[in-house]
Amino acid sequence: MSILPREKTKIRLRGVNMEIDSHLLRLCIESACRSAEAVERWRMQRRTLERLPSPLADALLRRLLQRRLLSPSLLEVFKSCVEDVDLRGEISVDAEWMAYLGGFRYLRCLNVADCHRITSSALWAISGMANLKEVNLSRCVKVTDAGIRHLLSISTLEKLRVSETGLTADGIALLSSLSNLSVLDLGGLPVSDKALDSLQVLTKLQHLDLWGSDLSDNGVILLENFPRLSFLSLAWTKVTTLPNLFSLECLNMSNCTIKSIGGTGDKAPLAKLQIAGATLLNEAETFMHLEPSFLTFLDASHTRIPKFYFLSSMKSLECLDLSSSGIGDDSVELIAEIGANLRNLNLNNTRVTSSGVRILARHVPNLEILSLSHTSVDDIAIAYISVMPKLKAIDLSHTNVKGFIDYGDAEPDKFYSLTALQSLSLERLNLEQIHFQDDALCSLPDFPELRHLFLQSGHLTDLSLHHWSSLCRLKSLGFRDAVLTNHGLDSFKPPATLELLDLRGCWLLTEEAMLLFHRRHPQIELKHELINIAASDHPPCNFPSKSQFSRRTPLVNINLEKLCLSPTFGDQRLKYNREELLALRNSTLSLRLNNRDDAIFKMPMD
Amino acid sequence: MNKDDTVKLISAEGFEFVIDKKAAMVSQTIRNMLTSPGSFSETQLGQVTFPEISTTILEKICQYFYWSMQYASGKETEFHIEPELTLELMMAANYLHT
Repeated sequence: MSILPREKTKIRLRGVNMEIDSHLLRLCIESACRSAEAVERWRMQRRTLERLPSPLADALLRRLLQRRLLSPSLLEVFKSCVEDVDLRGEISVDAEWMAYLGGFRYLRCLNVADCHRITSSALWAISGMANLKEVNLSRCVKVTDAGIRHLLSISTLEKLRVSETGLTADGIALLSSLSNLSVLDLGGLPVSDKALDSLQVLTKLQHLDLWGSDLSDNGVILLENFPRLSFLSLAWTKVTTLPNLFSLECLNMSNCTIKSIGGTGDKAPLAKLQIAGATLLNEAETFMHLEPSFLTFLDASHTRIPKFYFLSSMKSLECLDLSSSGIGDDSVELIAEIGANLRNLNLNNTRVTSSGVRILARHVPNLEILSLSHTSVDDIAIAYISVMPKLKAIDLSHTNVKGFIDYGDAEPDKFYSLTALQSLSLERLNLEQIHFQDDALCSLPDFPELRHLFLQSGHLTDLSLHHWSSLCRLKSLGFRDAVLTNHGLDSFKPPATLELLDLRGCWLLTEEAMLLFHRRHPQIELKHELINIAASDHPPCNFPSKSQFSRRTPLVNINLEKLCLSPTFGDQRLKYNREELLALRNSTLSLRLNNRDDAIFKMPMD
Repeated sequence: MNKDDTVKLISAEGFEFVIDKKAAMVSQTIRNMLTSPGSFSETQLGQVTFPEISTTILEKICQYFYWSMQYASGKETEFHIEPELTLELMMAANYLHT
């Protein structure tokens, strides 16, 4: 049923990209991927599969992968319809998978980043593919120069990402024959001046990532020969002086020692500059050749800069990150001069105090995001913050804010400082490590737009948790280190929109109470030390794969629903005795969970 | 039933499904066909032929229209899809923009 020509459907669905917006389509995909048995009931419909428009086939394939139902032999049925394959992070992907992928007639985009079992010889399968435009092999450490030779026959290739693979300078030089390349990511590879010299023929390059390379000031001059280069990363290199690159829009020189950016003559229209952690030999000279009026994004976090005068000429800045930069109240005026364009300002971990916020207050009318975490601002600053009308997100965690201003004996009534925020339509508020009492929080006005709220204080009790039931848009709520009781959690009525409840450090809660809460509100992801740890405490009488996965994944948010464990998984231990559980260890279910476990285990390493 | 309130959907094999216009409007494509100005035969006759959609699939689509209206009004029941219909139904759903 080729209802619409392939091209037409593609355009219609490309717009929504990854997300399928049709309800019926989603239901179909869910039903098709419900179980291995369900797959068996449609996989033989070859002629239908051949006619499946590629956006639909791509979505179906993605869902099969998420549901751990994809195998190399099942891949085969998609060979005539899929254009976009994203297998990143799948450790089971190996030469056999690649052999099937090599038969995908219309494959346009292949992402196998972090698939560690892919070797150079596995890439032989995709050599000479006629429609392949994008290949991502990032961090496939077993891919070496020999593997790259297989790619050279894919002349259509436009985007190639091979960062942190086993390539040497010789292998990189080979890439010069891929003349259609516009995006080349060579991050973390030993790109030498000589290797860059051989890449000069790639005049279509727009995006070149060379972080961590062996490039020196001598080699970097060659970059002038890439007339379309708009994105360049030289982070973590020895480069100190960048020549004038007329087309450059984004530059990353984080963690470099910078002497100057841009040479004499016309200035590059640089819009985005990252110099996080860089050492500026002379800040005036560094920025001398930059056209400041185009710059909209500057990340100078962790950069030791003695003077910030350059800021005053950067009138277009929308996003400014000066966290951990050593800026203090004396330079805040220079930020204030940027004025109306500024949307996002990060001053975390700086010497800025409440008087600095006062200087800023009326000069940044369009500021939407303000971060002041780990500074010494106090309750006085909140009054100044409240006159920034467009603010949507505020981070005041780890500051001296107390929640009230104590005027001493003269005025016995406390003045609750947070009430000043009522005039703002806040969406995100971070108040972690501020030692509020319940009364200070309960004085918080209702923020009808609030979506994310983070609290962490040993003085909070059941009372202040219940206060947030009325926030009708709340998606995530952090309520850490509080004196929250089982009863308090039990009687908490979470807003219908809530997706995440972080209760780490609430030491009074028991596992049972949290599992009960989870059973009652399965859509809410719960975070707490006990939920992770408890499983590995009793390995023999536990659900075998679950214990592994809890032990290994403290860093990852474990959303029990997403992992397709039954919502009542806590009951599994009651349902089976030890022998039955041991038998389950060999069943397909536990195998499937083990695979998933591995995939999750990998994520924190990225 | 008033003829103006219904619409006739015809499958590849010639089977006719007469359903509420309101239900058929769940599909953006049918909505466009029925409401677009000008003299589309679909607009005038109140019938749409789908030479590429089989009877089984069109029946499922009609069931979905009614289910979808119920769902929108807050009645949350499950819409069951047999796995063997999923591929064809996906294509039909994509075409009908529903």
